Amino acid sequence: MYGQPEQEDFTMFKHYLITAWRNLIKNGLFSGINIFGLAIGLMSCILILLFVRNESGYDQWFEGSEQVVRLHSGFHMPNRPPFDTVRSSGRMMEAIKAFASNEVQSGARVVQQGLSVQKGTDVYPQDVSMVDGSFLDIFPLDFIEGSLETSFKRPMDMLITRDLAIKYFGRTDVVGETLTLCCVASNPVTLPVSGVIQNLPENTHLNTDLLVYMQPRIFADSPNILESWGSLNVYTYFKLRQGATVEQLQERVNYWLNNESPFKKMYEDNVGELPSGMQISDHVKLRIMPVSDIHLHAKAHAGSMGDLTPLGDYNMIVTFVVVAALILLIACINFMNLATARASQRAREVAMRKVLGASRRQIALQFLGESVMLVIIALLFALAAVELILPFYSQLLGRELHLNLLGDLSLLATLLGLAIMVGVGAGIYPALFLSGYKPAQVLTSTKGAESSGSGKLRIALVIFQFAISVVLIIATLIVYGQTRYSTNIDVGYRYDNKLILNVFYAQDRLDALKQELEKLPQVKQVVYTSDAPTQDRENNRGYKLLASSDGKAGQPDAQMLNYYSTDYGFFNAYEIEPVAGRVFDPAYGSDKVIRPETLGQDISNASAIINQSAARRFGFNDPQQAIGRTLEVSLYENQIHHLTIIGVVPDVHFRSIKFSIRPSIYLLREDRFNNANIVFSGHDIPTLMQQVEQIWKKVVPMQPIYLDFLSEMMAAQYAEQATTAKLFGAFSLLAIVVACLGLYGLAAFTAERRTREIGIRKVMGAEVSDIVRLLVWQFSKPVMLAILLGWPVGILLMRHWLQDFPYRLDNWWFIPVCVLAGLLSLLVAWFTVGGNATRVARRNPVHSLRHE
Amino acid sequence: MLTLNHVCKSFQTQDVETLALNNVTFDISRGEFVAIMGPSGCGKSTLLNIIGMLDTPNSGDYYFMNENVATYNETQLARIRKKHIGFIFQNFNLIDELTVAENIELALLYHGISEQERKHKVADVMDKVGIAHRAGHRPSQLSGGQQQRVAVARAVVGNQSMILADEPTGNLDSSHGEEVMKMLEALNDEGTTIVMVTHSPEHAQFARRTINLFDGQVITQNVRAA
Ligand SMILES: Nc1ncnc2c1ncn2[C@@H]1O[C@H](COP(=O)(O)OP(=O)(O)OP(=O)(O)O)[C@@H](O)[C@H]1O
Ligand SMILES: [Mg+2]
Repeated sequence: MYGQPEQEDFTMFKHYLITAWRNLIKNGLFSGINIFGLAIGLMSCILILLFVRNESGYDQWFEGSEQVVRLHSGFHMPNRPPFDTVRSSGRMMEAIKAFASNEVQSGARVVQQGLSVQKGTDVYPQDVSMVDGSFLDIFPLDFIEGSLETSFKRPMDMLITRDLAIKYFGRTDVVGETLTLCCVASNPVTLPVSGVIQNLPENTHLNTDLLVYMQPRIFADSPNILESWGSLNVYTYFKLRQGATVEQLQERVNYWLNNESPFKKMYEDNVGELPSGMQISDHVKLRIMPVSDIHLHAKAHAGSMGDLTPLGDYNMIVTFVVVAALILLIACINFMNLATARASQRAREVAMRKVLGASRRQIALQFLGESVMLVIIALLFALAAVELILPFYSQLLGRELHLNLLGDLSLLATLLGLAIMVGVGAGIYPALFLSGYKPAQVLTSTKGAESSGSGKLRIALVIFQFAISVVLIIATLIVYGQTRYSTNIDVGYRYDNKLILNVFYAQDRLDALKQELEKLPQVKQVVYTSDAPTQDRENNRGYKLLASSDGKAGQPDAQMLNYYSTDYGFFNAYEIEPVAGRVFDPAYGSDKVIRPETLGQDISNASAIINQSAARRFGFNDPQQAIGRTLEVSLYENQIHHLTIIGVVPDVHFRSIKFSIRPSIYLLREDRFNNANIVFSGHDIPTLMQQVEQIWKKVVPMQPIYLDFLSEMMAAQYAEQATTAKLFGAFSLLAIVVACLGLYGLAAFTAERRTREIGIRKVMGAEVSDIVRLLVWQFSKPVMLAILLGWPVGILLMRHWLQDFPYRLDNWWFIPVCVLAGLLSLLVAWFTVGGNATRVARRNPVHSLRHE
Repeated sequence: MLTLNHVCKSFQTQDVETLALNNVTFDISRGEFVAIMGPSGCGKSTLLNIIGMLDTPNSGDYYFMNENVATYNETQLARIRKKHIGFIFQNFNLIDELTVAENIELALLYHGISEQERKHKVADVMDKVGIAHRAGHRPSQLSGGQQQRVAVARAVVGNQSMILADEPTGNLDSSHGEEVMKMLEALNDEGTTIVMVTHSPEHAQFARRTINLFDGQVITQNVRAA
């Protein structure tokens, strides 16, 4: 007896399922549009969801990860663009560990170096993480061979991951085997493998597959790595004590910075007296960030140099989550609109069911069931589409994303929950609307029981959909335009026909290399520099303008300038003409900065070229005034150099225009050369590349070659932005497609309802074109209104977005962009409605007039 | 006015082919009042639709004002139609969303006439058929007879020289039916050619000539003595 009601429920359920299915089949257009639209909306959501899950799960893979933080640094000096980095100086770790011993349990530094591994005659580029022994206390790695106790105890102990062991040895039991690294402190070293660890997961910010227990002595010749306060070359991690918070440590660090650290003295030496009311922590930033925040939030601290692995972009993720939700919303609106638009078709069914005793609740549930069923079918299509698109999507984003529903029950549950939410969300209004019909009204009237209210709501929703589309089109165009603007801006020099060869590991062979390279028929010129465009480091020093011998005043305070080292011929090669004075010239013989034999003795002399920003900083309104003046600087420990300004060059965009131009100085300092700028002519690029590689192999046999086209390096600066533009374009397109699907359906249903009227008009002499115009115009009004609404929103949003770019599109660009976005939406709407309208208008009116 | 020569029209539905008009030949001169009669399904409406250029014959020639329109395309037919032909239907076929005046104006909308002139003509014709006092009403607020008067007004407002009426009195009671017939008679007196399908022998009496159809063929033509 107890089974009875359930039995009945089940029969009812089955009955509803069957009716739902039949309705689905019967209303092909309605079902098709909704399934397709919802599938696109769900697909967008799933794609974004996968990305978000991947991005937000970083660095939580190890025990105690919530207690691990990293120290980020920044110099925010007066009158200079701020300099930020996720790295820190080598002495910071010990100092903070000692001062904040109540908060910090342990600390470790990582010196990340791009070295090479030599196997036989092959040379492989290899990133090497030199770490303090305490690194493994902070990041507990799993050992496959060896153990924490035995394998990482002595300096120069070396761990490699499983993948690396297989790459270099073809197996994993390789403890005792050796690898030759090149180069550690300018010398190749051969180290035995002391342990093999499990591969690190994909979602970590660490780029660690080869670790070496750091022997501080090996950096004795490069004191700026471990022994410096001001050079930011290491990554510093701390593990907090149980109960200590990030905020406590941050407070402690700030206290240390303002009261105990050597930065106050450094500031006074380099910049001058600290203005009253200011603290050191206003200028020097030491910021503590939990490692699990690094991937999504470190971008704000990372400046121009990035991190160990490419960082995620929190703002971009939020943006795309919103966009995906909007696409789904548009699809839901389609469902609501179409369901109510064809309501009159189903009014009779509802009335009959009510006459036969169905309650309003039962009918509402029936309609809800239908919409959930539709959404679940759409979900299946969406999953299939995601499966197809995922490889391309992963590639575009540079992430490895997987869809594994069965192995990931939380994802499955999320998706099912989403489907039901969408089904109910989209179905609730039509369900209430349809179930509210009064049987008597419907069965006695011959016309559809359509209220004008639901018609108005439909139009309002169409306006909303198209307003979103217009905003998305504007956003896409502006992102695209800004990317074009960035790549096409006049950087102030020629970057075509140049190859950049990294010569960091060929310091002792620069002359031989240059000689060989310049013998090549296609090579016009080889110039050494510290930095090539796009890859510049922050190199700051204080330069003090001295009074001139003829009585012109100097400046009391030093100015912080960024400095580049360039060889003779640099300005020539890049076609940068000085605006005053001359460029470096061997004929003068006095331009070079030379490291004196003994330090701290006499003052040394050399020449300097400054850019116009620097000239202004020194108070020269006319660049000519700078020529012949002297700057004082300390380039080698306590050694004083006097630099004579021999030329002023224009401000050029040496790095991405995401950053503004800094006051800069160019010195001819050979011990800083890292790059060969190879200027070539001719078109046989493959041969040229081959020849350069051969020369490299001959001159520097131990090192892998790093050779790039400058033009490609320039383009790569904007690759991320270009990806954003592409994604935006794709998602906007999807949004518009879904909106148009809805419009198409709505137009089709409306035209269906108006067939008699259309017939009458045709009999009255209307031509096909008149009818098409009538139907198209009906939907042009809401779309135009949507455009008017979308414009201000799009303009506001995108002006905000552009704020982040120091060099950006002019405001007048919004005019063509808005006009284009408007025209595009209108045209798309016309096409959508027009095709169907033409079909309807061509119909012979006789039929519709007779069968009314 | 028009000549039909061996006109045939058939409809293909599923497997069945219906020969709605079989070799129909006759002509109608300017100013005539012709009634078409016959049992249900014999092809009367089909014939009227072809005359009204809402449909085209499968074979045969149709000369309208000395032009063979049998081969014209839709747009060409629409242009002739709106200039010369007005329609009246059994079920009135007024648009519910428009007022009486707007329904009538519809017939002028596609003629390229200025709005002022349109308003003028609509007012004139409403006076003529006696529904001026209902100009702002919706069709659903009028009686059947009144609705048909609106339809008549709509059919003649563009100075059409021929009116095609498909059972114009079919949905009306006898007094309203009589009213509409009188109106058509008056229009015929003014020189308008009228072709009317009717089941009512009484109303057929208003016509000068009656064409009897049976199974898509003309069987007899009776001319009423003047
Ligand atoms: N569009 C069509 N498709 C198929 N068959 C049609 C079509 N129009 C008319 N017919 C068929 O052609 C024949 C003639 O139809 P028509 O409407 O001309 O008859 P009628 O004489 O006007 O009849 P009634 O007096 O009932 O209005 C009928 O058999 C009808 O079923
Ligand atoms: Mg008929």
